[in-house]
Amino acid sequence: MTAVLLDGVVLGLQLGLLGVGLTLVYGLGGVLNLAHGQIAVLGAIVIARATNAGLSMGVAILLGLLSVGLFGLLVDLTLMRAVYRLSGESRVLLGLLLMLGVGTIIDGVLEWRYPIEALSVRITGAPVSVLGVAMSRGALMASAIALVAGFLLFIFLQFSAFGRATRSVIQDEEGARLCGVSPATVRSTIFVLSAVLAGLVAVTRSMTAPITVTSGFGLTILALVVAVVGGLGSVSGAFLAGLLLGIVNTVSAFTIGSYITTIVLLAAAAITILIRPSGLFGGRT
Amino acid sequence: MADELLRVSDVSAGYLGQDVLHGAALTVGQGEVVAVIGSNGAGKTTLFRAVCGLVRPSGGTVHFDGIDITGLATHRASRSGLAYVPAERHLFPTMSVRENLVLGAYPERHQTEQLEFVYELFPRLGERKTQHAGKMSGGEQQMLAVARALMSRPRLLVLDEPTTGLAPKLAIEAYAALGELRRQGLTILVAEQQVPLVLGLADRGYVLDHGRIQLTGTANQLADDPEVRRAYLGVT
Repeated sequence: MTAVLLDGVVLGLQLGLLGVGLTLVYGLGGVLNLAHGQIAVLGAIVIARATNAGLSMGVAILLGLLSVGLFGLLVDLTLMRAVYRLSGESRVLLGLLLMLGVGTIIDGVLEWRYPIEALSVRITGAPVSVLGVAMSRGALMASAIALVAGFLLFIFLQFSAFGRATRSVIQDEEGARLCGVSPATVRSTIFVLSAVLAGLVAVTRSMTAPITVTSGFGLTILALVVAVVGGLGSVSGAFLAGLLLGIVNTVSAFTIGSYITTIVLLAAAAITILIRPSGLFGGRT
Repeated sequence: MADELLRVSDVSAGYLGQDVLHGAALTVGQGEVVAVIGSNGAGKTTLFRAVCGLVRPSGGTVHFDGIDITGLATHRASRSGLAYVPAERHLFPTMSVRENLVLGAYPERHQTEQLEFVYELFPRLGERKTQHAGKMSGGEQQMLAVARALMSRPRLLVLDEPTTGLAPKLAIEAYAALGELRRQGLTILVAEQQVPLVLGLADRGYVLDHGRIQLTGTANQLADDPEVRRAYLGVT
């Protein structure tokens, strides 16, 4: 059982890192980025192509993260600017539909151009014993990166001036503007950061299982579930929800069967919305 | 007036294409305290939102320190020294008092002496530095909203009904603090329904009704005006 729980934690950290980018963008402007998983896959395929072309893995990863960051900036400066000009329900709807479109386009282009491309980052070495369970080095490395990234994100949001400005826009946009914070600048920066984090998840996820051109939609759904359960707009919530859902996922896969896990996760999100619409850990940033 | 800090010329503004403010004009001189008096729905809030860029005027111009700021984004107006405190305050509820204040100075690094200055002006904020803004009483939230606006060392403080939701005693305290700021030379534009309080503070005032400036004069002239006495001071 310890092994199942540890696997749950490993998965949970990945889910947290996946959900946090989606939750921040939603908190800042009400846009549900339904292309989040596809952006992650885009990064993965850039990295895979770059290594095929002979670049070392480290350089390829940097190139991949840079690419998705630039892609995020492009989407923000074009589509998102139009979305943020609207307010209320029409903003939420247009944001959702446009990003669904972006996700579909990424899916389509990748499946058309690179149908058999996939990313697997291999971390070699013998398994390491953790609490008496043999854990693969890939899983440990992925968890360590997720933990460090989450920690750095927390420090950035909590203690830097720009992080504080980010939280101010999430809490009260008009108040933020009155303080001299430009919501547009904050949104653009965080959208780019969110895209880079999606790319990073693709890298860490591929340390335990390959990311293929068709992985995007599944990742988007997972990010959405994590963000909803954690409370949209809450960073700590995303990580706590990620851990919780990761454990729920592996335990249900172990006790019932892996075919049930997607249903269990979606049920967890549905129950959360019914019981606590603001999410289990909502109301904090 | 030689040192004119704010000039609002013929400004009309409203929501969804429907103007609620029709060609309002006013000026605020350097170091002056100017009151805008009017009942609910007179257009005071719309006038102020047009000044600080939260509403784009459908006509007219706003000049701040000689520069045309009509329709300028709110965060730019704020950075240029125009601090607006809305009646709803718009604090950051789950941030501490101190974090709210530090954000007031954004994007500049906050100055320790400015923090000390506002803690001195409102000692209760100093005692509650680590408390969440959302957990404070109405009076304390109002103090925090004013203090946050002061953190950027503004050249003009614009206050929309600072006594909203305050008990009479706290309203008097709030105006005592504004009087202290006035003594220190801060220029203030304040909208208020509590007319006796605001005329006790202001140099001059404007009476706004149905989106139009109906009357203007010194605070004493307004306090003696039969219309003002009847409509706002409860004297028949």
